[in-house]
Amino acid sequence: MTITETSQIGIAILSLNGTLDALSAPDFRNNRSVIDPEKSVVIDMENLDFIDSSGIGAIVGASRQKRQPVGGIILSCMNDRVRKVFEITNAQKLFHIFDDTIAAVDFAATRQSARA
Amino acid sequence: MKTILAFREEEYAWVHEAFPCIHPLLLPLCNKPFIEFLIDFAIIADSSSLRLLCDGGFDAVERYCENGSRWGIDLSYGSIHPDDTIHAMLGKNRKFCGEERIMIISGFSFIRYDKRLNYKSLANTMAAGEWATCPGGRITLSGMPGKTPAHWVDAPLSLMPLDGMASYYRASMEALESGADRYVLPGYGDEPGCAFGRNVVISKSVEIRKPVSIGNNVQLLADTVIGPSAIIGSNVIIDRKSSVESSIVFDNTYIGEHLKINGRIASGNRLNDPKSGASIAMEDPHLLSGIKKKGVLRSFPRKFTHAVAALVMIAVLFIPFVILRSLLKLRGQWKSARTDFLSEATGMTMSLGKVELSTASSLTSIAAALSMDRYGWLFRVLTGQLALIGSKPLPAEKNRLEITRSALSYRPGVFSYAEAEEWPSSDGDATGGDAAIVERFHIAHSTPLSDISLIIKAFVNRFQEKSIL
Amino acid sequence: MNKSITITLPGEIKFVRFASQTAASVATLLISENIPESEGTQFVHDFELAICEAFTNSVKHAVKRDTLQMLTITFEFEPRQLTVCLRDTNGPFTIETPTPEITDYPPGGYGLMIIRKVMDGVTCHRDGDSNILRMSKSL
Repeated sequence: MTITETSQIGIAILSLNGTLDALSAPDFRNNRSVIDPEKSVVIDMENLDFIDSSGIGAIVGASRQKRQPVGGIILSCMNDRVRKVFEITNAQKLFHIFDDTIAAVDFAATRQSARA
Repeated sequence: MKTILAFREEEYAWVHEAFPCIHPLLLPLCNKPFIEFLIDFAIIADSSSLRLLCDGGFDAVERYCENGSRWGIDLSYGSIHPDDTIHAMLGKNRKFCGEERIMIISGFSFIRYDKRLNYKSLANTMAAGEWATCPGGRITLSGMPGKTPAHWVDAPLSLMPLDGMASYYRASMEALESGADRYVLPGYGDEPGCAFGRNVVISKSVEIRKPVSIGNNVQLLADTVIGPSAIIGSNVIIDRKSSVESSIVFDNTYIGEHLKINGRIASGNRLNDPKSGASIAMEDPHLLSGIKKKGVLRSFPRKFTHAVAALVMIAVLFIPFVILRSLLKLRGQWKSARTDFLSEATGMTMSLGKVELSTASSLTSIAAALSMDRYGWLFRVLTGQLALIGSKPLPAEKNRLEITRSALSYRPGVFSYAEAEEWPSSDGDATGGDAAIVERFHIAHSTPLSDISLIIKAFVNRFQEKSIL
Repeated sequence: MNKSITITLPGEIKFVRFASQTAASVATLLISENIPESEGTQFVHDFELAICEAFTNSVKHAVKRDTLQMLTITFEFEPRQLTVCLRDTNGPFTIETPTPEITDYPPGGYGLMIIRKVMDGVTCHRDGDSNILRMSKSL
């Protein structure tokens, strides 16, 4: 899996490409923006082809590290395959999920400014 | 135009309690899943794309609706948070919404509409905001409206909250009584107020009083009275001299003999009173599962007849069995393994040889047609472990031991009554599978003589089915 | 077609993609002989996911015991059913675990939960000093 990181209005956007499983989960977990409890992160999943419970665990774990667990990690552009794994584990309940990355960034920015 | 359908689990939590086997969005209203009424309305209002949002799981709904191609629309799925506002939903689905006009139907409520009226121009031209509302449900329009047409025709629209069994019952009856004029309802019928599904068997002395809606694979036995205002689901048997009036009978339900069902909802072995919300699980010989097992003495004639018939089959099929098995074993197409099945005695299991025949060659199809894969089981009839005809043997899995304990009418057989009746095959679920209904019925009613004819039917049906392959 | 394919892999997490992609290829093979490929996508996805979870579980448990082992995966074809058996030499385990609730953030248990959800039949038994996790799914 490759992680491409960009930033917009102070929000980190991590674009995941490939497979998020037990093998690639540590890369995600150790990402600087993911570790930073103050940083709001949008995870763009448009090119994420496959996720398993280890991948879900990594994202859930990351959200728990955030000062604001529900708003700290925001998910976008999930394909049906990834969405189904979220639903099986009920993990979708823990996140705000957008079908558009820009909309997710706007949402995160609004939340961040409200917090400030 | 596009439509968003949004639901929150707490709105339909009551359905999980009342009808645990059904996903609330697939709850049947007049034999049509709830969600389909909303899809129909979205289509009537000119939607080409639909997105279904929920804060809980909807795997069953997704498997049923798939991508919407059945209705000629584009159907997609997404998640919401329980506290999401309409504005938040639009934001989370920005790509789906684009610049188009959006209709948001939220809440677990029944839409009263009339398919003959023109909702299309209303949906496209009304100002953004609420279109219809009720406690817990609303229809909202968003985005720029189109130009108002020269001839404005109002089309009434209202919502009815489905917040419990009573409102569900009212909505079902309303859909039945207003009938196919207002809603797109399933079934065929020569006259209004009568809709029948496929494979409905009606005995001569049955009386049907309009309005009624009857599903697929239904047997109405002698002297039953159906209606007025009866909704009978699919895979249902109404036994002799019973009546169903102003009531709903869910799929996979067997109504026993001499039973009056009035103003009730019968679902599996539960009988619900929609007005009071009271519910009882039946354990006596009326509604389905409570068919008492006969004592050893009373079951002797049946066991004897089955053993004699099994002996005849063993003798007749011996030579074909020896030849076919040897040939198929040589070709590696005869694979057998031992599997544990539930035995008739509650909580006990028995080990049976299970033969897998590949259907690739003509030889295997001959063997399958002659039920050679079940030849070994015939000997178990002689020892009394299996009936010659009965229920489909259920694999012994831990969760099933409990199931057979509650479903008293399980009698594993070499052939199953479902095969004799060409009933849709189920996965061998003793509580809710389609075939379980017909098996229960026959276990309650069979006589040694009727069993013989059903054994022949089952054998012939398997012969025809397998030889086609 | 009654055939089986067996592969043996070192129980290391770097082989998890190999194991799950092999499962996907095997499932695609079964699909291609029975139904149109477009209708079998979900079947292939479910199979891939189940093997990924099972393989990861086996490796994780072995890591806990500080041993390196070989994992044997056997795919058994039946006319309209695919069964996969994963044999490991970890300590005994049970699949009868309670379903975890993610909103309580429990540390694990999702792998088995996913396997049970996407496969039709899941059993586990002990054979000598091995566990055999057997998962099957019908078309």
